[in-house]
Amino acid sequence: MRVRVKLIATYRQHLPPGARGDTVELEVAAGSTVADVLQPFGIPLDDSSVIVLNGRTVSLDTPLQEGDTVAAFSAIAGGGEAGKGMPDSSVLESPIL
Amino acid sequence: MYYGWHGRILRVDLTRRQVQAETIDPQRAKDYLGGRGWAIRYLYDEVDPLVDPLSPQNKLIFATGPLTATPAPTGNRYMVITKSPLTGALAHSNSGGDFPTWMKRTGFDMFIFEGRASEPVYVWINEDRVEIRPAAHLWGKDVHETTDLLLAETDPEARVACIGPAGERLALMAAIMNDKHRAAARSGVGAVMGSKNLKAVVVMGRKDPRMFDEAGMRELSVTISKEVGADVKKGSNLRIYGTAYVPQVTNTLGILPTYNWQTGVFEHVSQIDGVALREKYLVRHKPCYRCPIACGRVTRIPDGKYAGEGEGPEYETIASLGSACGVSDLAALTKANYLCNELGLDTISAGMTVAAAMEMYEKGYIPEEHIGQPLRFGDGDALIEMIRKMAYREGFGNELAEGSYRLAEKYGHPEIAVTARKQEFPGYDPRGSQGMGLLYATSNKGASHMEGDVAYEEVFGVPVKIDPLTSEDKAELVKRFQDAFALIDASGLCVFLAVRYVFTKERMILPTRLAQLMKLTTGIDYTPEEVLKAGERIYNLERLFVLKAGSTEDTLPPRMLYEPLPEGPAKGKVVELDKMLPAYYQYRGWDAKGWPTPQKLQELGLA
Repeated sequence: MRVRVKLIATYRQHLPPGARGDTVELEVAAGSTVADVLQPFGIPLDDSSVIVLNGRTVSLDTPLQEGDTVAAFSAIAGGGEAGKGMPDSSVLESPIL
Repeated sequence: MYYGWHGRILRVDLTRRQVQAETIDPQRAKDYLGGRGWAIRYLYDEVDPLVDPLSPQNKLIFATGPLTATPAPTGNRYMVITKSPLTGALAHSNSGGDFPTWMKRTGFDMFIFEGRASEPVYVWINEDRVEIRPAAHLWGKDVHETTDLLLAETDPEARVACIGPAGERLALMAAIMNDKHRAAARSGVGAVMGSKNLKAVVVMGRKDPRMFDEAGMRELSVTISKEVGADVKKGSNLRIYGTAYVPQVTNTLGILPTYNWQTGVFEHVSQIDGVALREKYLVRHKPCYRCPIACGRVTRIPDGKYAGEGEGPEYETIASLGSACGVSDLAALTKANYLCNELGLDTISAGMTVAAAMEMYEKGYIPEEHIGQPLRFGDGDALIEMIRKMAYREGFGNELAEGSYRLAEKYGHPEIAVTARKQEFPGYDPRGSQGMGLLYATSNKGASHMEGDVAYEEVFGVPVKIDPLTSEDKAELVKRFQDAFALIDASGLCVFLAVRYVFTKERMILPTRLAQLMKLTTGIDYTPEEVLKAGERIYNLERLFVLKAGSTEDTLPPRMLYEPLPEGPAKGKVVELDKMLPAYYQYRGWDAKGWPTPQKLQELGLA
């Protein structure tokens, strides 16, 4: 079945090279869960990420349906807890001041 | 002898052209913390809640907190408190930049402006040298020009807060701008300043507040900087995109205000989000004074009819001037943002008012000849023209300058205005974030995200993501967030930093770190429970002012209560306010009509 993965703002860096915009479409096995689909992207599957299925809050073991969209973004927005496993950012090249 | 606070207040009587320094009572300083807390105590004691907000009887208070101008990272905020001409109740607007620190370094924690000058003036405060100077030559000038002229005639190292033409003309959504681009924006504080013929306040000084425990304060500040710095290095959205990353988030949840709240999904969101802004117009990041987050951004539109340079747009501006108006041209909405800053308008109320006018025009409720031109959703040029006219109250702009509530009422369609206490909503559709609905309905300053932003949990997952679509368990959450935000606004810290330190490991709201900072700064043995209680005290005193001003209805507009969202994740939802409000009153210790009970007032020392 086909599903879409939308990675917002800083999480765009986890998209495969050549992806257009912030969304990719994938072919996944029937019965795949939210976690199964996100795992390969290397997104932290803990409280440092917000993950929604079709915009709704769900648990990571929720099975997907054809045409679903899984979206994720970082909860570290100046208000996150320090020290949670975020990958190094490749877009943080601009000077601090 | 005070630590953290100077303990001094500057009172400026504009009618008599007299200034006076006062000291604050130590018990009052402690109980009300500073900033928003001190200011409501003085406003409540000195201003009749029924006074005409634009009369000389209203007072305009600028207030810093005990952590302003200290080593605490982001300890650089000030509040403007007054009776609001937009809501007819309370205004408390917060801003950063440099001005708050420069203000505190004058040696005063708070300024109280009262009366009305007979002609335009500005006030130049250089420590104890305070001058009320003529400002006729500045009247009519925009914020940038005013600021440049004032720095030239006072001191180039000073800092300026001023109004633009919008404040002079008493537009009800006029802001007070500081450092050119930062705004104490909401609830018409700029109109109150204009009504006093006060064009600007210029500040400078070297009086840093004394720290009770200088070494301890430095150590904790370094720790906090390191913690924030670690997040920034790992890729904080705020650091990289500023608040402009948010439209994608709210759009994904179906709560991005679009076409004047007729839907929560904007099909062109990718054209106006932080990624587009960064790729097209970002010049550099720009922090407020002593901020390790640096969410601010200088932008430039290099050429074309919208060419210009300024700061922003922030998320709220993208939502109001962008999606709410259906404008998908990032250059047009950015230009409209620059114009708001230059003319001194709150981008939220300005954009949402134009959005309401657009809907009324398209539905035929406002004839084209009243507006003087077509006003369709998505028309960036029309948006820019309406913003200009609003600021100058020119033609139809005179109606726009009254805000969407009065505009919609005047044309016989009050249901079009999306306001609470007559103030326009910020950029989270509460039909898909129920806690925000309760927040807007009960906020002392009218609809605002900054009075207890439960979107942190409902939308952003800080500290943990909760379901935004349910109204269950939101009443207590809203109450605790409101109290915590009152504390933050009293402290002088920025919400973006402070919010991470108001939760315990168990994710309960208990501001341990904040209490520690306050203790090291002031020397008062504050506990986390006490500072949170002080937040509640401040909130309840504000509530009394609001109720006595006659703003007694905690409600939301019909669109939010009866018109379900037509699409997206929150499709079919309305705000379940009636399910949340009674429980909220109960958690608050208020009676069934929303008045604080005598027992609650007793408990808070307000009886």
